[in-house]
Amino acid sequence: MLIDAKEAFAPPSEDALIAQVKMGDQQAYAQLYTLHVKRVYALCLRLLADKEHAEDATQEVFVQLWHKIASFEGQSQFSTWLHSVTSNIAISYLRKHKNWLQKVVSFEQSGMDEQSATDCQGLNGLDKLVLRLPERARMVFVLHAIEGYRHEEVATMLGMAVGSSKSQYHRAKQLLKEWYENE
Amino acid sequence: MSKPDFETFLAESINNSETQIAPQKDLWQGIEKAISNPATKQRESSMWPKLAGIAACSVAALLSVQLVFNSSAQNTSVAMSDFFAEQKQTLLVQYQNQPALTDNWQQQLTELEDAERAIKQALENEPENPALLKMLAQVYQQQLDLINKVHAPKWQTI
Repeated sequence: MLIDAKEAFAPPSEDALIAQVKMGDQQAYAQLYTLHVKRVYALCLRLLADKEHAEDATQEVFVQLWHKIASFEGQSQFSTWLHSVTSNIAISYLRKHKNWLQKVVSFEQSGMDEQSATDCQGLNGLDKLVLRLPERARMVFVLHAIEGYRHEEVATMLGMAVGSSKSQYHRAKQLLKEWYENE
Repeated sequence: MSKPDFETFLAESINNSETQIAPQKDLWQGIEKAISNPATKQRESSMWPKLAGIAACSVAALLSVQLVFNSSAQNTSVAMSDFFAEQKQTLLVQYQNQPALTDNWQQQLTELEDAERAIKQALENEPENPALLKMLAQVYQQQLDLINKVHAPKWQTI
């Protein structure tokens, strides 16, 4: 029987990899990691606006994913599910790493400074502006405008009122507009 | 050529926002290590530092509520300094027999202590400046994070 070379040497499909990972195959997980790490890291960087934190959070995503993947039933696309897992982990990462004074007095973290944002490789023009936004405005903007969550969902994820999510989005847009027009 | 108006720029950027960015570090090694080691073992070994951290945060939260609402800003910085000096000392004693992952962490700590001194000096002139108080708290937090990180690393390989 002849074997189709293309078929025999083609990389396994994502579904096949997921099935292998569910059975505890770490090599398959390494391939799944390679397929998705750049998207996961990009989302973490947008949400956290800090390279080191984004690297830590990316690791946390893939460690938790290893334990959670059994609960992925294929009802949505894997990448959609992974984005949702990543968003939630990045948000809880940010909560965990706030220092005690920020937690008590609600100091808002400013975004990345202009020079560092400009120096970030691989980002498009909008991303470079988004990284400069203050924390709450940035999170809302990324989740609502880029990731496509509704304000109700964003509010639940970030533990804020729906009105606050809307006003932070408006604030983010105003700042982005100002920076874009003054560039 | 003139640039597009903001709304057009926004819409186009969001439509093309499937950005993929490669992290500069190899993160897989740390992930592989974390998923290969039984989590329980890791949890057991790091239980006491975590408990100490939780206790410190709880005390810090109570202390800061007290300070923010009942004291002047000058008292805040003094009490903050006392509290962190104690926390730092506790961590240094706790990790004194544990090897650090980097050789230059004490140099990094000295740099943070220099920053702490500079901020305290500025606070003498402006004791109620919230930005300075925030910076002081951040520098203290960075010192504690540094001591913890070099002695109790998570997954990232340094």
